[in-house]
Amino acid sequence: MKIFIIMGIGILIGRFLMIGKLKKWNERLAMLCTLLLIFSMGVMLGQKENFISELSSLGLKSFLFFLIPTVVSIIFVYILTRRFIDKKDTKGNDK
Amino acid sequence: MIVILTFFALVFGLFCGLSGTESEIIRFISKNSDMILYILMFSVGISIGMHNGILKKIRQYHLKILIIPLGITAGSILGGLLCSLILKLPLNQGAAVASGMGWYSLAGVTISRLGGAELGSIAFMSNLMREFFSFFLIPIIAAKLNYCTCIAPAAATSEDTTLPVLLKYTDEETVVLSVLNGMLCSFFVPILITFFFHI
Repeated sequence: MKIFIIMGIGILIGRFLMIGKLKKWNERLAMLCTLLLIFSMGVMLGQKENFISELSSLGLKSFLFFLIPTVVSIIFVYILTRRFIDKKDTKGNDK
Repeated sequence: MIVILTFFALVFGLFCGLSGTESEIIRFISKNSDMILYILMFSVGISIGMHNGILKKIRQYHLKILIIPLGITAGSILGGLLCSLILKLPLNQGAAVASGMGWYSLAGVTISRLGGAELGSIAFMSNLMREFFSFFLIPIIAAKLNYCTCIAPAAATSEDTTLPVLLKYTDEETVVLSVLNGMLCSFFVPILITFFFHI
């Protein structure tokens, strides 16, 4: 809930107070936060007891449990969005 | 570029964790990861707010907005069932693991409690992989398929950690759809895991 309130405040600031020049800096801030979160996720995993042994013994099963559900989800959403969401500019270039 | 940076951030983090490197900065980052997430969400909010007329556009979707979370949930469950058949596991367990939809912390803990430590570890790692590989899949899907499909690998994480990648490779409209999708998928995760262990 807290997350959505914070995001809501961000939306209001973006809507009424932000100027175009700051857009780039805001994107950089988002990227920095993401990298810091991923870094802390790595630290947490590295500190987890038995992480390496679990990864080697259950890694293949885990990979399968990542791969198949993800691929089926992608196929389902692609078919459904092509059929029901007529959104222009849905395929494009890296900004 | 973003994908390479993401990869290095994870590898560097793993290295620091495994080697037991202790420093004030690492401790500070690990301790304040919630605060970093809040700053991230604030920043994503600003990006959405700066895009004029976006909420009006989203309203035009009506019930169609549910298509993405429903497609992701159905696809994940079906994928989990297929994994069960391949690995000769009980079907409900496979469906429960895949129902984590990228929310590795919750799926790992809940499934450990309900289905044992080994299944819990599989749930933790497979959902972690889902979040991690999303960073690589989103740019490819944005270029080859369509923007809405970029939300599919991210699933429940599309409202937080994978959101900046979605913002970078898709558009603000898709980002709002991602947030709504993340909220709905996150709502489904604990319900589905519990459901599959009680049938």
